[in-house]
Amino acid sequence: MTETIPIWRIKYIPTILEEICGRQDIIKNLKEIIKKRNFPHLLFVGSEGIGKTTIARLFAKEFLGRYFAANYKLIYADEPLTEEERNLAKSESYVSTSKIGSIAGKRITTPAFIKVKVKPFVQLKVLGDAPFKILIVKNFEVLGANQQGFRRLMEIYGNNCRMILITTKVSGIIEPIASRCQLFLISQVDFQSFRELILNISQKESLQIDDSVIEVLYNLSEGKISRAIDLLQLCSLNGKNIDLDNLFQNSQKFRIDIVRSLLLLTLNGDFPKARELARKIISNYKYSASELFKLLLEELIKLPLSKYARSKLINLVADADFRALDGMDSDIQISALLSKFCLFSENL
Amino acid sequence: MREIAKKPINVKSQMPWVEKYRPKSMKEMALPSAKVEGHRVNLAEELTDFIRSFFKEIKIINDENKKIRAYNRTVSEKEQKEEINLPPEKAAILLEGPPGIGKTSIVYALAHDLNMDVVETNASDTRTKDALEKKLKETVKSRGIMDFMTESKQKLILIDEVDGIYGTKDRGAVPTIVDLIGHTQFPIILCSNEYKQSLQNLYKNIRRFEVHPLPEEEVFKIAQNILKHENISSLTKEDLDLIIKKNMGDLRGVINDLQGISQGSVNMDTKELIMNLHRDNTEEIFTLIRDLFQKVNTLEEARSLTDKSDVDYNFLYKWVNENLPTFLNVNEDIANAYENLSLADEIFGRIRKNQEWSLLPYFYDLFAGGVALSRKRSPPTKGFRRVVFPRYITSGSYSVTGSEKSMIDKINLKYEISQIEAIQDFLPFLRILCTSSRKQLKTVSDWLDLDAKEKKSLK
Repeated sequence: MTETIPIWRIKYIPTILEEICGRQDIIKNLKEIIKKRNFPHLLFVGSEGIGKTTIARLFAKEFLGRYFAANYKLIYADEPLTEEERNLAKSESYVSTSKIGSIAGKRITTPAFIKVKVKPFVQLKVLGDAPFKILIVKNFEVLGANQQGFRRLMEIYGNNCRMILITTKVSGIIEPIASRCQLFLISQVDFQSFRELILNISQKESLQIDDSVIEVLYNLSEGKISRAIDLLQLCSLNGKNIDLDNLFQNSQKFRIDIVRSLLLLTLNGDFPKARELARKIISNYKYSASELFKLLLEELIKLPLSKYARSKLINLVADADFRALDGMDSDIQISALLSKFCLFSENL
Repeated sequence: MREIAKKPINVKSQMPWVEKYRPKSMKEMALPSAKVEGHRVNLAEELTDFIRSFFKEIKIINDENKKIRAYNRTVSEKEQKEEINLPPEKAAILLEGPPGIGKTSIVYALAHDLNMDVVETNASDTRTKDALEKKLKETVKSRGIMDFMTESKQKLILIDEVDGIYGTKDRGAVPTIVDLIGHTQFPIILCSNEYKQSLQNLYKNIRRFEVHPLPEEEVFKIAQNILKHENISSLTKEDLDLIIKKNMGDLRGVINDLQGISQGSVNMDTKELIMNLHRDNTEEIFTLIRDLFQKVNTLEEARSLTDKSDVDYNFLYKWVNENLPTFLNVNEDIANAYENLSLADEIFGRIRKNQEWSLLPYFYDLFAGGVALSRKRSPPTKGFRRVVFPRYITSGSYSVTGSEKSMIDKINLKYEISQIEAIQDFLPFLRILCTSSRKQLKTVSDWLDLDAKEKKSLK
């Protein structure tokens, strides 16, 4: 490779399974599967950002070998369909009157997602000398009731195409789907492997970093390797020596910390500023109101608060989220929550 | 406004430009196009014809009625004939169109060209039955001695802002106007912004002219003329275009904006100035919001305020949300107000989703009275407060801008990532990285092959 990649998280992305950081037991399992040339549908479960997709993709790549490009597809269940795709789904749902049968001339409703994204891929025959195609579906739990549509697909086209379903919430997967898959629990990377990885990168980028700093980096990134590497790159801009000050200063810029500062603003009782920040977060990160409430909830649990205060504040978040379900203007619900936090902080 | 217009010439420099540049005659004005029942018509011709034929017909009718009256005097009460009236479609017409496109102006210009006086009533007048009758019926029915002496000056009745008839204050106005049209001695022109169900009785029998906004080029010409007249050269063509676009055919709005800018603070960014300008129809909301927070003391008052308002409640409660922190600054008051406002929002959502219209009264009382009256300890804020537009319109679903979309596509060539991950995780990092130095921005954008616009969004 002649060009240097300016973004480290892409530069140091693993290109073969062996390069995956930690989780050796899982890698060993997957290697076994590749040798046997056969596997059932898989279900990868693990928390956000720890590398499930990277592992799945590398696995598919090594399994399919040189027929990878033709037989592999990755789709995101949470990505909204474009206008075109929706129209396509609509036009295809019409059964021509020239067909025989009771549904002739009627519209059949298959979920648009399955119609335009899944079916065209699974129905096509395998290309080249691969045993079957591999389809990865990310954030599978988002499909909700539409998961039902997958049940038959997995059986009918199972011979032609194996699926790897990826999810952060195993509780969001319906029972019939879970029973058709082999479950893989992807754990967070362990500290030792993490340390090796960071030291490796530091050596290549000629950075100085202490074990104690790596430990803080490990905790700050919550097991998300891409985030840790992002942080490291930001720190490197300030000098080759990575110290704690540098690290904390840069971690402030990340979103979860923005949510924390939002919470702190409200607990200082500054409503106008808090509302300003909340709007900024919403527009920059395109969170829905409900997502913002969940992030606030997550942060609330981490803050050092009294038992009473915590439960009271959780109650307020729940109430706001509940009202936002029916409400028309989520900005009002967010503002309402912030104002109640501000009031509550006065009596703290 | 019109009061000022009547003052002598020497105050002309202080006049609102809208009045200063109001066309005197139809010849000098840019005529808006109009349609009747879907057919395009020449507004100037139609209006002139309407006035001319009105006076012709009314003369015949008056002569007939004179004969009838003479006949009636000779026979017993039972055999008396009824006097005849002019059919309403010949007595009145309605001009309907968005604000500021020249409806009122054309009526005044018409009167000027035909040497007539305009008797005007608009939304600023109280239009109860009594008040209307007092103002109009005398004019309309009087066949006093003066009429014969000043026959050269005929009258034209203009009932402006008909759609502004609402609430309890104007009770009885519609039947009065209908009655007026039946017995008038002078032609009547009504102006209205939009079709209103409650005014159906009025609309039933009269001809409706749909007046359309002037084309943008036309507005541009007029605006340039005014700027030349006022010796203003600081506005670029782009600024002017922006103002015209923003007003969407509202010529009055454009002229008001121009005056506002030319007399506003000079050091402010012109663009910002343009964006900060507000229009007549929003002026109503501005006042309403101020009154709601600063004047209202009882639920009764809050109710009458929202009752009277012409503003769509869809928007009104968003205005309340946006401006709430401007007027309330004790956390307890803000929280109490928001408790009511958020409940109002929830109720509104349920009304819209499940058609639970029976909940509507709560919605009104909660977002208006409930918010305004949540002040517990502090007195209302005094003095002038700036009311701002609801900036934040939530659509509910997330959407990416064009440059974000194309950037994500380019990233995907090198790094497989979903739209959502890109927006919530990767792009924020890229922004932080690229703002750190110009060199970083350059290497990253070169590597991803970004164009200038995409590059800018990373800064």
